[in-house]
Amino acid sequence: MSFKDVVSPFTAWKNLFRDPVTIRDPLNDRPGAARYRGFHQNDIEKCIGCGTCETICQNGAIDMLPVEGRATKQGDSGLRPRIDYGRCCWCALCVDVCMTGSLSMSNEYKWVESDPDAFRFTPGVDAKHWDHAELGYRRPEGHRLTAEHRLHMGEMAPEERIGSFAEIVDGYDVAQAKLEADRCVACGLCVATCPAHMAIPQYIAAIRDGDYERGVSLLYETNPFSGICGRVCTHKCESACASRHEGDPIAIRWLKRHIMDQVSVEQIRRAVGTAAPSSGRKVAIVGAGPAGLTAAFDLAKRGHAVTVFEALDKPGGMTRFGIPEYRLPYEAIDQDVDIIRSLGVEIRCNTRVGSDVTLDELREKHDAVLIALGLQLGRATRVPGTDHPDVRKAVDLLRQATAGEDFGTPRSAVVIGGGNVAMDIARTLARLQKQQFGAVKVIVTALEDFAHFLADPDEIKEAGEEGIAVFDARGPQQVVVEDGKVTGLRTWKVKAIFDEQGRFAPSYDETDELFHPGSMIVEAIGQMTDTALLGDALTEKLAWTRGRLQVDAGGRSSEPWLWAAGDMVRGPDVISAVADGHRVAASIHTAIMTEQAK
Amino acid sequence: MSYTPDRSQYPAMRPDGTLDIDLTSGKYLKLWQGPQHPGITGNMSVELTVCGDEVVEGKTHVGYLHRGFEKLMERRTFIQVFPIVCRVCVPEPDFNEYCYAAAVEELAGLQVPEQARWIRTLILEMGRVNSYMMYLGGQAGAFGLGVIGQWTTYARDLMLDRFEELTGARIYHMFILPGGVRDGLPDGFAQRMEETLAEIERTMKDVYEVMFCNAVFKTRAVGLGYIDPALLDQYGVTGPNARAAGVAKDVRKDHPYLAYPELDFEPVTGTESDVYARADVRRRDVLVSVDLIRQILAKMPKEGPVMAKLPNVLHWKIPRGETYIRGECSRGEYGYYLVTDGSGYPRRINVRGPSYTHAMALLERMIVNVNISDVAALMVSLHTYPPEIER
Amino acid sequence: MRTLYERLKALFPLGELTEQRPDMGFVTVPAEHLRPLLTQLRDREGYTHLVLLTAVDWIEEGQFQLTYLLCNRGAARDLGVRVMIPRPAVGLATMEGIHDLWPTAATYQRELREMFGIDFPGSPRVDEEFILEGWIDIPPYRRDFDTRKFSEENFNHRPGRETRDPAQYMKQQLYPDGK
Repeated sequence: MSFKDVVSPFTAWKNLFRDPVTIRDPLNDRPGAARYRGFHQNDIEKCIGCGTCETICQNGAIDMLPVEGRATKQGDSGLRPRIDYGRCCWCALCVDVCMTGSLSMSNEYKWVESDPDAFRFTPGVDAKHWDHAELGYRRPEGHRLTAEHRLHMGEMAPEERIGSFAEIVDGYDVAQAKLEADRCVACGLCVATCPAHMAIPQYIAAIRDGDYERGVSLLYETNPFSGICGRVCTHKCESACASRHEGDPIAIRWLKRHIMDQVSVEQIRRAVGTAAPSSGRKVAIVGAGPAGLTAAFDLAKRGHAVTVFEALDKPGGMTRFGIPEYRLPYEAIDQDVDIIRSLGVEIRCNTRVGSDVTLDELREKHDAVLIALGLQLGRATRVPGTDHPDVRKAVDLLRQATAGEDFGTPRSAVVIGGGNVAMDIARTLARLQKQQFGAVKVIVTALEDFAHFLADPDEIKEAGEEGIAVFDARGPQQVVVEDGKVTGLRTWKVKAIFDEQGRFAPSYDETDELFHPGSMIVEAIGQMTDTALLGDALTEKLAWTRGRLQVDAGGRSSEPWLWAAGDMVRGPDVISAVADGHRVAASIHTAIMTEQAK
Repeated sequence: MSYTPDRSQYPAMRPDGTLDIDLTSGKYLKLWQGPQHPGITGNMSVELTVCGDEVVEGKTHVGYLHRGFEKLMERRTFIQVFPIVCRVCVPEPDFNEYCYAAAVEELAGLQVPEQARWIRTLILEMGRVNSYMMYLGGQAGAFGLGVIGQWTTYARDLMLDRFEELTGARIYHMFILPGGVRDGLPDGFAQRMEETLAEIERTMKDVYEVMFCNAVFKTRAVGLGYIDPALLDQYGVTGPNARAAGVAKDVRKDHPYLAYPELDFEPVTGTESDVYARADVRRRDVLVSVDLIRQILAKMPKEGPVMAKLPNVLHWKIPRGETYIRGECSRGEYGYYLVTDGSGYPRRINVRGPSYTHAMALLERMIVNVNISDVAALMVSLHTYPPEIER
Repeated sequence: MRTLYERLKALFPLGELTEQRPDMGFVTVPAEHLRPLLTQLRDREGYTHLVLLTAVDWIEEGQFQLTYLLCNRGAARDLGVRVMIPRPAVGLATMEGIHDLWPTAATYQRELREMFGIDFPGSPRVDEEFILEGWIDIPPYRRDFDTRKFSEENFNHRPGRETRDPAQYMKQQLYPDGK
């Protein structure tokens, strides 16, 4: 203790001469910092209602609710997050995890309201004065709580694969699949988009857990063609995936294939289970494609005796005779079909309905008849010169290639069409050329430009790698024939494919003409169904809409004993055919168990 | 006011060490200090038995803000635990964030980017300054020096501004998460921090003159609340409470973590181990932290990532294991004991707050024979935060 | 860490050493050897600082794990000593206290008695309420205490909350017939 200790405290008096440090009007003079985590903002157009914010919220402060004027559509649930500020702790995990980056927080922290329920509102929907605040917490660049990039899928090098029909894609190994499955946020936006409503988040979870038996059970609940779909599905699910907005969509298709790769036939059988005791009912199915066999699978499981009649020598329909082996190996088809057979489904190949057996006979001997014919006739462009024998249809060539028939591989070929079938035939021809002549000379001409191409981007990329030249926005005008031989195709530049009313009516720039040399021209512009087996009388009796057989939601035609399913009523797509097979099977089951059908 | 060596009028000790207090004798009075009392540190209370104005027995009561955090953490995924840990200790929440994040990172095998390591160090030192500011106000207030609290609150508020611009929040920063930190420093941060540090130094000068060179403060604080260095290990005493007793216990030096090995500083120690010595250690520690913040801002990398690549946090599972991560907070050793069982949830998290030992066993021992009017000052001098006792 | 372990192993029946970090290990010891081991560590090996004492409920295995974390400040080493004790489905588990080795352990033991139902006979004020006043349920830090159930039974929810599952809602909207 000293004299200083007595005097020194009085220095506090100097503060009398200092300015006060308090803020005079804190309500107005004190905005939150640029990163302040204040009331939420949500870009309602960007938000897809995936509910990941609700999942991560550790306070249970977020509800997902329908919003007026916002319809559910593919890839958008139509729900929007409502936040209960009685529970929110402003941690911003919802902002960090947001799959689209729509959610953020403003720097506004002051809001006075006498009604406590007002503090439960939907940002971006219920207008607030901070909706357009410039400052506030946005997820910092690079700050991600989920992995945005898809695991690379290994595939055979172009020079290696072009020489054979071996499968190109390696498939994921267990470690890769786990990592890819880990990216999924399990929001389930994909489920409604999948025509068969497969339990996608659940089977991806099974991969994460390494429980492949559970995985395959989940697959077979909705899809007996998982081996096939795991390779060639059009994977609409991936276009609805929440991860695609700020990264790559989950490789759902490859993950499905991965499950099928990991399980043995015995495991699949266990997952599928056994058929119910015999119901005494009999069903005939015409066509052993995905729709017919899916229906057969469902009906057999329910104890009905199912016989499938197939005109060609092997089951699988377009998956076998339309899709090339390098995309879908025949063993994968055989495995899926064998499982269906193991339920007691009889598949009679080489039996053409109409000639080997008549539809009337089937009708008499069965409680119900399902036709699932597929689209086996190629459409024609009808441009001059297409009547030449070296102008072929892609579906015919693909069928012949699968059957191992020699259709006379051309040294050079031009394919008309821009869909996956066009790419399939182009790449099949390229392989045959490589095997027979050592050089690839295939040209693809498509009406669509690359921005609107119908074929998968992977197909175009891989075709290019294999030496195929793809010309976009070219309209076929004439197949040039000299001395009775096809020499190539003349095309004009496409200005527009549709007219102002949106009808198909291509217009061309006639000054931009190209000649594509080729000794064979292949038309791959679409397919249709051969309904000759119905016969004139039945065709007359049945109701049709715009060339298609008219059926109800359950696939039943205007004749109560006859159902139709698959591509012939739905359009070409394996997974849609599978979905249709389920629907029709349910309709047939109800009908034959409750009505005296026939 | 001072201790009477003649113990004849005080209760006798039983063989088991407890006191033989006969409340019906009329010689004793039960007094509750807290939980609502200006002379208490937060939501706790001390049940005093007094004889005259001298305390013969004291029992600490906690539980006024038990929120069951350790249990709540077991019910949340590893990322969901992150926003609640800070709530365990209000005035200095960042140690919870750091210890939890580091424990998860160790068991999950995550490497934290270099810049994040420095930013974490920066945040922990900023938090330490703030915590000491609250303490100084409280310590002075316990002796009736109200003005000190006004000054340190102002200084703390400036630092809260810096927290706000760096982390996006003033109190619960929720910025250090497993894998790194949320973001880098905002533009111009170092400049504004320097202004804040200068203001804090000026404030500390005033505090020194008015609080530490003060006859009233010295008269009451010197010699009060002596902690025998021999008790340190018995009572798990850490931090400034230990350093004021001459033992240079400082986790930053003893078990270096984050960027501390690359920083130049010496733990502040005292010798007298009384209320004054502890206050002075903390006062000087503020200046060390101010210096450390300057060093950090000068030495830290200015770019690069601040977050490690996390697995998808929604299904993050961590293999079975256990670990303990500690840090030197303003009150001593803060630590998280994390046990994982291979699932997506922690099996057990135990938070070791330094106040756990300081405010319970140690305080109850120290409070005996102290004058009632000194109880508050003694309690504050241990710098205890009740929420970390009961969690 | 390894050399310390070898030294101790010669004296006590220790389980495997888990070297969590170069400066931190965990080891399991039978309950009856805890006291001599801790005394040895404290008095001979420089592990004078009791960092914490807590429990882990391994309900599936019918055991409580007690963790005694000790620190040797001079050597900058930590050793966690685990003791596995039987966990009765109802009623108290029991363990010998160490409050005479470290007086501060009494607080930890009091908390364990309250939160986990682990008794330490003879520990000062071990039966006094510590944090929970008037608690009526099972010890709340046991794994079989369900916080959500407890809160739903004892507290009211503010009305006005509802939510939808995006996947289910989409199916209802896009395929109302369920197909």
